[in-house]
Amino acid sequence: MKKTIAALVAAAALTGAAQAETLRMAYSTAPRSIDPYPFGGATTASLKEHVFEALVGHDDQPLLASGWTWDSPTSLTVNLREGITFHNGAPLTARDVVYSSCRMMFKVNDKRNLLTSSMGPIADVVAVDDLTVRFEMKNPYPLWVQKMKFLSILSASGGDVPDGPIKYDDAGDCGITAYPSRDDFENGEAAVGTGPYKHVSWTKEKAVLTRNDAYWGEAAKWDGLEISAVTNSGARMAGLLAGDYDLIENPTTEDITALDSNDAFDFTGKPAWRTMFVVLNVSPDGAPGVEAADGSAPLSDLRVRQALSLAINRDAIVDRLFGGNASVANQFAPAYRVGAPEMPALEYDPERAKALLAEAGYPDGFKMVFNAPNDRYPNGTRVAQALTQYWSRIGIEVELNAQPWSVYAKARRAKEMGVFFYGWGHPQGAAQMISFAFASRDKDLGLGASNYSNYASEAFDTAMQAWAVETDDDKANGFVKDAMVAAMADLPGIPVYYTHSLWAHRADLQVDGRQDERTSAWMVSYK
Amino acid sequence: MLSFVLRRLGQSAVLVLIMSVLVFVGMYVISDPVAVLAGDDFTPEDMAVLARELGVDRPLIVQYVTFLGNMVQGDFGTSFVYNKPVLPLIIERLPATLEVAFLAIGLGLVLGVPLGIYSGLNRKKASTKSISFATTVGYSIPNFWQALLLIMVFAVWLKVLPASGRGETTMLFGIGVSFLNLDGLSHMILPATNLAIYKICLQTRLARSGTQEVMFQDFMTYARAKGLPRPRLLRRHLLRNILIPIVTITGLELGGLIAFSTVTETVFNWPGIGKLLLDSIHNADRPVVVAYLILIVVMFVVINFLVDVAYALLDPRIRYT
Repeated sequence: MKKTIAALVAAAALTGAAQAETLRMAYSTAPRSIDPYPFGGATTASLKEHVFEALVGHDDQPLLASGWTWDSPTSLTVNLREGITFHNGAPLTARDVVYSSCRMMFKVNDKRNLLTSSMGPIADVVAVDDLTVRFEMKNPYPLWVQKMKFLSILSASGGDVPDGPIKYDDAGDCGITAYPSRDDFENGEAAVGTGPYKHVSWTKEKAVLTRNDAYWGEAAKWDGLEISAVTNSGARMAGLLAGDYDLIENPTTEDITALDSNDAFDFTGKPAWRTMFVVLNVSPDGAPGVEAADGSAPLSDLRVRQALSLAINRDAIVDRLFGGNASVANQFAPAYRVGAPEMPALEYDPERAKALLAEAGYPDGFKMVFNAPNDRYPNGTRVAQALTQYWSRIGIEVELNAQPWSVYAKARRAKEMGVFFYGWGHPQGAAQMISFAFASRDKDLGLGASNYSNYASEAFDTAMQAWAVETDDDKANGFVKDAMVAAMADLPGIPVYYTHSLWAHRADLQVDGRQDERTSAWMVSYK
Repeated sequence: MLSFVLRRLGQSAVLVLIMSVLVFVGMYVISDPVAVLAGDDFTPEDMAVLARELGVDRPLIVQYVTFLGNMVQGDFGTSFVYNKPVLPLIIERLPATLEVAFLAIGLGLVLGVPLGIYSGLNRKKASTKSISFATTVGYSIPNFWQALLLIMVFAVWLKVLPASGRGETTMLFGIGVSFLNLDGLSHMILPATNLAIYKICLQTRLARSGTQEVMFQDFMTYARAKGLPRPRLLRRHLLRNILIPIVTITGLELGGLIAFSTVTETVFNWPGIGKLLLDSIHNADRPVVVAYLILIVVMFVVINFLVDVAYALLDPRIRYT
């Protein structure tokens, strides 16, 4: 019976392959729009990248730009590639970049686009000549090179754009009477980018795209794309097995072990940039949910934090809970993320952890509430349970509080959590997470915006402040290393593992996966 | 009759008010839309701007009064997530839910009632025993598991039906519907069946117990003794008498199907309003959740009203004053 089914499935897959030059993918959440400006989120970004491109690619390399130079830490000149045209045939010029910046800042229903936060330090966008654009900043903002990924470039050739140069302003007025609305993007009228695929139709459930034959780069491999959104992982896998899709994102680790016995389907994993870690509130005044019998603040003691890290068997988490489809973490960004330093592995030694706790004055442990979202990260709840057990074993009385993301996020913002589990995807380089989570607050430099750990270290802050204004990559990476070394010595948080992105797909397809948790058609080809 | 309608309207207004207060306070206490919408790179200042733009920085009572004022004018608010008016957001998903709900309810009536009457009339036959066994099984299988089973059998093994999604739609009076084309219809079958199995079993059991009860009543004995032909006996005297509980349950079940088919819609990735509700709760999208539940209250009120009218039509003894 099993063999017959396998044969049937294989036959179905083969007949599919003969005719299908359309790639059918199922994303794990619904892209919120094909309007590239209002929304963040991995699948929204994945979808828009097929149609719209930015000056910088997801690999941090120039895409629509041919290169850039820093005139000063507050001024970046970007040169555009020659000979690029939009889907409507209009050539790409600096004016389009100014127009797109204006559209980014423009408020719809008096609400800012959610991606606008990246534009905060930008004071002006100037078209120097047709192929040169200059970004002027209020404060030093080297991170803008990374942030330019989020600024999709849209053609300014529409009917309601006045002729002549466009003057940027941060209210998005720019002398433009009307911008294309979200509906215009969604019905395709305004979805005019430079990308390898063109918009055919869009609904929240399914986007249909077709090849852009005039694409400036390497030609697209697929004639057409159908990108569906299937949020339930069981339904996604069923759709793949039933032949409704050729490739699905984020199968569960249980599902992929079942694929081993199926010849018609396969899976591909790729280490992703996302780092999963525990944040500890190290304030000497104590942390919410953390109680010691003597009223002291255990997490403010370095030995306690070292004990918490030593108690975790990271290899077991990676092997048992992920079947190897995750990597052990030893810092807050994986070494394979450009800019992250090499760091020594973290030890597992529960005996020493107990000794350190005793030395710190907690031979009988203390009470600690550990918060984790239960619907956010693959296997997240199980990892949180494992961590809870590891810490219980060294004598800490841990209460796991696993909640839905919407509830958890509220408590995090309200600073009601002393110990919590979190993940950061590092789309903007290796240092952004530590600069947000562990630096002392500096509004001008954009440091410490989410320092829920209350960590304050002079060595760390000095390195981060130098990094925040350094436009030379090598030097900046040197500062990242200094900061990472300081943070790993002080442990205001505890890195646990790096996630892997997974795709399940037809066995005759080959997937060259991305590390930024996105799924795109150019990852996929026939074997 | 008029006073009855007016009284119903008054009751439903009170219900809507209570519901909106509960949902408003509940969502406010539980989740924070700013924290959910904000990206990792939002600063506290960015979050404050977002809170102001969403209007959630104001005291709860002010937010609620503003909401009520707008609702009276027909404005249910703007989705926090999509930044679009919520009513069109809900209504565009309604047809998908409605067509599957009606198909499931229809299957329940068309298959369940005759099966029930048959088992009620032929209590000792073996076929009755198998029907009774089948309904017990269908009654007790968890919906979620049954959905996966249907997908495994019909989509993965037999490959005769698609596993999920809505497929093609045909425009009917400006609304996209699935039941008018083959592809759309094939996508409807599994979710509708998944919803229908329980309904069929329910209706079978209701019709059977009704039949058993009515068949032994004096007026039936008299009608039989009078020599009424069997078809007329069953249609005029049996069916009409067992229909009242069936109509009540059908009304309630229809409301339940429309409002809370979340599990089926999720497993089959069916883009209906149940899925919208779930996503909106996840995303702390309060305006959508509030408007949705208010609409559901109104819908239940309307369905109950229609059920009451149907009573009066079925049973001449029932009068509303």
